[in-house]
Amino acid sequence: MSSLPLDPSAGGGRFPGFDVMGQEKHWDEVTSAVVVSRLGMPPDIRFFNAAEEATATALCDQLLDQREPPRVPVVNMVDARLAEDQTDGWHYEGMAPDGQSWRDSLSALDEDAMAHSGCAFAEAAWETQTAILQAVQDLGSEDWHGIPASRVWSLWTRYACTAFYSHPWAWEEIGFAGPAYPRGYKNIGVNKLEPFEVADAHPAQDPLRKGTS
Amino acid sequence: MNRVRERNESAWLLPAGPGINHRLRDDMRIFDDSDEVDVVIVGCGAGGSTMAQRLARAGWSVVAMDAGPFWDPEKDWVSDEAGSHHLYWTEPRVIGGADPVPLGSNNSGRGVGGSMIHYAGYAPRFHPSDFRIHSTDGVGADWPLEYNDLKPYYADIEEELPVAGDDWPWGDPHSYPQRPHPVSGNGDMFLRGALACGITAKVGPVAISNGRFGNRPHCIYRGFCLQGCKVNAKASPLITHIPDALAHGAEVRADSMVTRIEVDEHTGKATGVHYNRRGRQRFQQAKTVVVAGYSIETPRLLLNSTSTRFPEGLCNDFDLVGRYLMVQGAPQTAGRFDDEVRMFKAPPPEVSTEEFYETDPSKDYKRGFSIQTVSPLPITWAEHVAAQGHWGAGLRQYMSDYVHWSCLGALCEFLPLPENRVVLSSELDRHGLPVAQFNYSRCENDRALMKAAQSVMEEMLKAAGADEVITINRYAHLVGGARMGADEHSGVVDGDCRSFAVPNLYITDGSVLPTEGSANPALTIMAIAARVADRMSTGNHATQGGRS
Repeated sequence: MSSLPLDPSAGGGRFPGFDVMGQEKHWDEVTSAVVVSRLGMPPDIRFFNAAEEATATALCDQLLDQREPPRVPVVNMVDARLAEDQTDGWHYEGMAPDGQSWRDSLSALDEDAMAHSGCAFAEAAWETQTAILQAVQDLGSEDWHGIPASRVWSLWTRYACTAFYSHPWAWEEIGFAGPAYPRGYKNIGVNKLEPFEVADAHPAQDPLRKGTS
Repeated sequence: MNRVRERNESAWLLPAGPGINHRLRDDMRIFDDSDEVDVVIVGCGAGGSTMAQRLARAGWSVVAMDAGPFWDPEKDWVSDEAGSHHLYWTEPRVIGGADPVPLGSNNSGRGVGGSMIHYAGYAPRFHPSDFRIHSTDGVGADWPLEYNDLKPYYADIEEELPVAGDDWPWGDPHSYPQRPHPVSGNGDMFLRGALACGITAKVGPVAISNGRFGNRPHCIYRGFCLQGCKVNAKASPLITHIPDALAHGAEVRADSMVTRIEVDEHTGKATGVHYNRRGRQRFQQAKTVVVAGYSIETPRLLLNSTSTRFPEGLCNDFDLVGRYLMVQGAPQTAGRFDDEVRMFKAPPPEVSTEEFYETDPSKDYKRGFSIQTVSPLPITWAEHVAAQGHWGAGLRQYMSDYVHWSCLGALCEFLPLPENRVVLSSELDRHGLPVAQFNYSRCENDRALMKAAQSVMEEMLKAAGADEVITINRYAHLVGGARMGADEHSGVVDGDCRSFAVPNLYITDGSVLPTEGSANPALTIMAIAARVADRMSTGNHATQGGRS
């Protein structure tokens, strides 16, 4: 089982030996097929053009802090949803439907990067990208390229988080066992674990109490 | 035979264990478009399915349409969050107003069973006070019904789902047909916090079978209630009312998007519905039309059904269609414990309190809120964490702490306001029909309730031992949009859900609710539908369409 590179000081290694896919034999076939497909070859990029793919990749790497391989193929998963118009079932008045909003916002990121450092967003240094994104988030409900920044931010994070936290590698990082059918859970309650669950090795590593781990 | 089975045999018509009764579906009666059926029902959710079952039992010929699929839970649903996207209504819709309300996975289902396929399973009753808040609190509207009109139907539906929970001390005190479920880590934290704060909390009420019910199995506590219950333990009309409807000769016509209701210009009566099935435009004749498309699609269908007589939309003579649409304020507060809570284990709906449901004269706001356990799975939890502003490395670190968090949610009673409404957008769907635009803005009372609910949840979690709490503001549950009223100037339908404008047109879904209380609406929608069907079929109500 591959695992995502995440330093212990940043929340990595909290569930040593926890193996989500090791439980696959206990899942129903339909669920298994859906989850296993996320571990196979990622879907080809169909929605984004090459420039958009580059920008979207850099954006998704930033949003989920995926600096090095192996990575959850977030951009392919986002692209697949947009290609299939698998939206959340709504868009804001005054903002284009999701697909067009992704295109518009990626091109706006490139504009920001060009103004900031004279290159496309994907070509900018990691720290520069981070600063550009932080500036967008800091705008809150103020406009960014004509759209309230918080709505663009929500579009990005909704799609990116849905992709990332649907992946078994991400589940292992957070101690979530994934599908639970038809077996269900037998040991429910505070501090109660199933035999296949792994207790948090750093229970005091509260992100709110920095330096106590 | 027990009493429930005499009234509704659905749970006994299912196979023992998970799955559907394929035989019942294969043998389903099929009507022709040219058969003038006694009733065509638009939408197979809480309201539509209950109507179909009751009227089919009463001997009516019934065609119940749904825009989405006729689910087979074993094949169509997965025990997975992202893989359950197809359970939601994701056709295009536009949201506007000062506080736009996200739709889709948040509150809109599709397919046979409707939003009850992905609701958590809470099934509380409304309180008697809910039916007259204008008289007693000077806000909102009074219903043309009293609590006692619905009471016997509440009890019937609670038996049919069935509902499990402690004896209920709030509103009209009552007990439940099934005993409360055991609680998980999240429910335990709720109970600990409530006890420490002196707040009464009770386990339930959840429409999840605690023990075998008919052929339906016991809950297995897998935690994926919001992704559709593959177990057949959580109640939805797909398993609680549709099987009995089929056994009594109803046709469920899935994948059928109703686009317009036809009204005869001379008689003023509805004659049937236009619908699109597999790309073909068709027309089903019917003596009575029942609309149960919920708070967005019901108004949209009426507004799209224009004619010479109804140039502004069907039943819209007084510009009421689409108005007074409500959502509940649903702030979600989470607390962090050194203990492992693992809130994803067990159903999200476990424990609730209605201690703050009624107007408290010492507060500067009217009406109140309820508090319940909610247990977000990783993707929804990531949204909660991202809403705090975390992203990148901060988000990953926060998420790695998932097993330590407990999460509560409130339902705040927002007031019905005329400008909160569905209108038609200039955007078209793939049928070429204008899509719905839903505009929403909160009032001062709404904001005060959300703040109050958040502070109670924070207090409870801290009292349970949480060292930090974080809150995300969200909205839940749609109701209203085609409300019932005493007359045509105050409502689209009367207390029997019959439209004022068209005598053989009924609306029996959440859109008829004049107020929303702090209760999850599913049980009330089903109880209203059961009452309407009862009155239609026993002749208590002079139906002008109806059975031939």
